[in-house]
Amino acid sequence: MNSPLIEAVLVVLREVLEFALLVGILLAAGAQCRARGRWLPAALLAGGVGAWGYMRCMGVISAWFDGVGYELVNAGLQMLVYGLLLGVIGVRVGRAARSGIVFTWLAAFATASAVTREGAEILLYLSAFQGRPQAVPDLLLGAALGVGVGFSAGALLYYLLRGLPQRLAEPATVLLLALVGAGMWSQASALLVQADWLPSQAPLWDTSAALPENSLPGQLLYALLGYEATPGPWQVGLSAGALGLALLTAAAAARLRPHLHGARHHA
Amino acid sequence: MRRSLAGLLIGLWAACARAEVPQFELRIHNHLFQPAELTIPANTKVRLVVRNLDPTPEEFESWELNREKVILGGQSAVIFVGPLPAGDYPFFGEFNPRTAQGRLLVR
Repeated sequence: MNSPLIEAVLVVLREVLEFALLVGILLAAGAQCRARGRWLPAALLAGGVGAWGYMRCMGVISAWFDGVGYELVNAGLQMLVYGLLLGVIGVRVGRAARSGIVFTWLAAFATASAVTREGAEILLYLSAFQGRPQAVPDLLLGAALGVGVGFSAGALLYYLLRGLPQRLAEPATVLLLALVGAGMWSQASALLVQADWLPSQAPLWDTSAALPENSLPGQLLYALLGYEATPGPWQVGLSAGALGLALLTAAAAARLRPHLHGARHHA
Repeated sequence: MRRSLAGLLIGLWAACARAEVPQFELRIHNHLFQPAELTIPANTKVRLVVRNLDPTPEEFESWELNREKVILGGQSAVIFVGPLPAGDYPFFGEFNPRTAQGRLLVR
């Protein structure tokens, strides 16, 4: 049997990239409002436990709802992360009293939920090699490389955001959070179509020639924004709606900021 | 009376909707899709049942179909596909991409 090294790098990287980019943005947003990154190890650990539990229950969950439980639970987790990101945006822009602690909990919960979903698939992939002990060293090396590259991408995004001038840092971070949130809905709606809970319709456009999904930029955009070369109307509509709601949340929080900000000084 | 009629119509509609979706079956065996090429009708929604006969998990994945689903060892999964225009739509097993390759031939 061939070595699984390269495959392991790719499989693990694809799953890790999504939450590593999210973590990079959340850490940058937290640093901007002076929430320390101490929540991260606990959130990763909670997500790891969640991923293990999800993997163990995958067989039961898959059978739910006439065989589409996998899609519904994954879509539900995506929507949960979106809801938490809305909260993160509101707290980050509003800068209310005690925003640091609220931000910390929202960011930690969002990270743990994202790790649960992606981590379960990594654990399942690794579990397939139980009967092939000779492949395990290459497998673990590949997985470690995948995790390393994924987290490097997240760190790069973090430093890019931290390096921006203050005037640009907040809008850029909030916009990225809103785009990642819209990507959550892009993936969730694709899963609901796959489960036949949303009607399947012809794609609105096809950019697979210009930007194939399996190319490197395509994969990066998929991880960041839920990029799809042939999106259906539900996918486009729900993502656009999610993006709009996130930007509205930011605008509302910005308008409320003087009141919230004042509250901190009186508190 | 009106309510029971509505209930009856909804029940009938649900039964028809379910009955109308044709079902196709794929198997995964030794990290290969069987058949490797499956023909389904164009412009029709189908219920694709993928049976994983291997003891190890697999992830059914297709860029062209916008589909991805984990199928545990020894289990089956339901994936709704289409309605699609005629064409060839490749799919693969993400956990064993070197061998698990297949195509949906939509005619």
